[in-house]
Amino acid sequence: MIPPAKQKSWLPYLVVGGGILISFLLWHFILWHHVEAYLDLLLPYKSYLSWLALLLGISLSILAGTIIRIIQLDDQRTALLNEMQITLKKEMSERLRAEESKQKLEIALLQGQKLQAIGTLAGGIAHDFNNILYAIIGYVEMTREEEDKNSIKYNNLGKVLEATKRGQELISRILAFSRKQHHEFEVIDLNNTIEAALSLLKPTIPASVSIQFEKNHGISIVGNQTQIHQVLVNIINNAVDAMEGEGTIIIRSTHLTTDDPLLKQLTQSSPQKYCKLEISDTGHGMDQATMERVYEPFFTTKEVGKGSGLGLSIVHSIIKEHRGEILLNSQLGHGTTFTILLPECSPK
Amino acid sequence: MAKILLVEDDDLVRDMLTQVLHRASHDVFCASNGEEATEYLQREKPDLMVTDIIMPKKSGITLISEVKHRHPNLEIIAISGGGRLDPTGYLDLSESLGASVSFEKPIDNTALLMAIDLLLHGKKEKVEN
Repeated sequence: MIPPAKQKSWLPYLVVGGGILISFLLWHFILWHHVEAYLDLLLPYKSYLSWLALLLGISLSILAGTIIRIIQLDDQRTALLNEMQITLKKEMSERLRAEESKQKLEIALLQGQKLQAIGTLAGGIAHDFNNILYAIIGYVEMTREEEDKNSIKYNNLGKVLEATKRGQELISRILAFSRKQHHEFEVIDLNNTIEAALSLLKPTIPASVSIQFEKNHGISIVGNQTQIHQVLVNIINNAVDAMEGEGTIIIRSTHLTTDDPLLKQLTQSSPQKYCKLEISDTGHGMDQATMERVYEPFFTTKEVGKGSGLGLSIVHSIIKEHRGEILLNSQLGHGTTFTILLPECSPK
Repeated sequence: MAKILLVEDDDLVRDMLTQVLHRASHDVFCASNGEEATEYLQREKPDLMVTDIIMPKKSGITLISEVKHRHPNLEIIAISGGGRLDPTGYLDLSESLGASVSFEKPIDNTALLMAIDLLLHGKKEKVEN
């Protein structure tokens, strides 16, 4: 394949011109230089020979020129087609990428709307449940007051009150998910916050689980330290459960450049700088069905009584409150990675 | 002993609170929504009103703002279990509209009775002064 710019477009004309010139020279040589002696065999055709040579030469030159031009035109066409093919492929892959990212955004938005709807529903349930609990507590307290403090009835009613306390705690967790609490936001150092959360968590984690923290220095965000602690605690506790008490958790904090492809996953595009917090475990991983429901409140794969199913929905809600994004990558038998993108800011 | 108007749409809570207030020797008049409470206030003059916030027909928020306009001296206690907003959001709003105290359900009834006594005592002092 010859690129059109490098093709010698003058070549066919040179061939035709050169051929015609040679033919004329031949004609002139045969006609004027008495070479009959060498052409005795062609004697009967002698008078036509020079013209025949001229015609033959001209025809051959034109034919050669035409063939060369056809080859050149064909090369040009092939080059053009190849170029079009490359452009088309590029356009197709760009469209495919755009379509994929649109689909991901749609799923994320749908997930957000779904969580919002569940939040509203949970808020309503919490209101009714608080009324129910209040009635139970009120009646039990009144009945208990009439009983002898050493009686079994008095003690049993005390247990009822204890149970209602647990119900109350559950409701406050549901409300924490459903309502937008007004948390104080300030400039915080992400690495210091992670280290503080790890120091809180480490005493509760089995010695057979190792935690590695790899960090890029100088990452600051505008956020609430307690909420970021909660994010880490909830994800790490899930990781420990998924590893059944043995394995490695790797936490990585990194700066992201503004053109990082990961930023295409943001549901709200923002031109500012982002940082990435990755938390990976070597646990049993999740299947697709679990991954799709993982942020739904009350969805849990843990045994009854072991998990409220609110941990990751609270994580999701906190990250959204921090104008960030949380991405999940998991494979059955190959562990799980949560990638959190958060807007970065200048340090205090 | 005081005359208390209790506005609460949940039957169980209303009956329980009625018993609690009776035991503390108060006279209790019940309404199950804001409209019933407004009708009652046109006929009677209670010493204090305890009202829920999220109720059908007329909400506690509307009731408080109307009552404070028509009966500025009536002491109001707002109670709420939350809902579309968080309970503290509603309760903050109710206090800014004129409720003297607010409680988030489930309430510690001893604290509620103490608040009622304090408010009524304060009122009595105001009258005596």
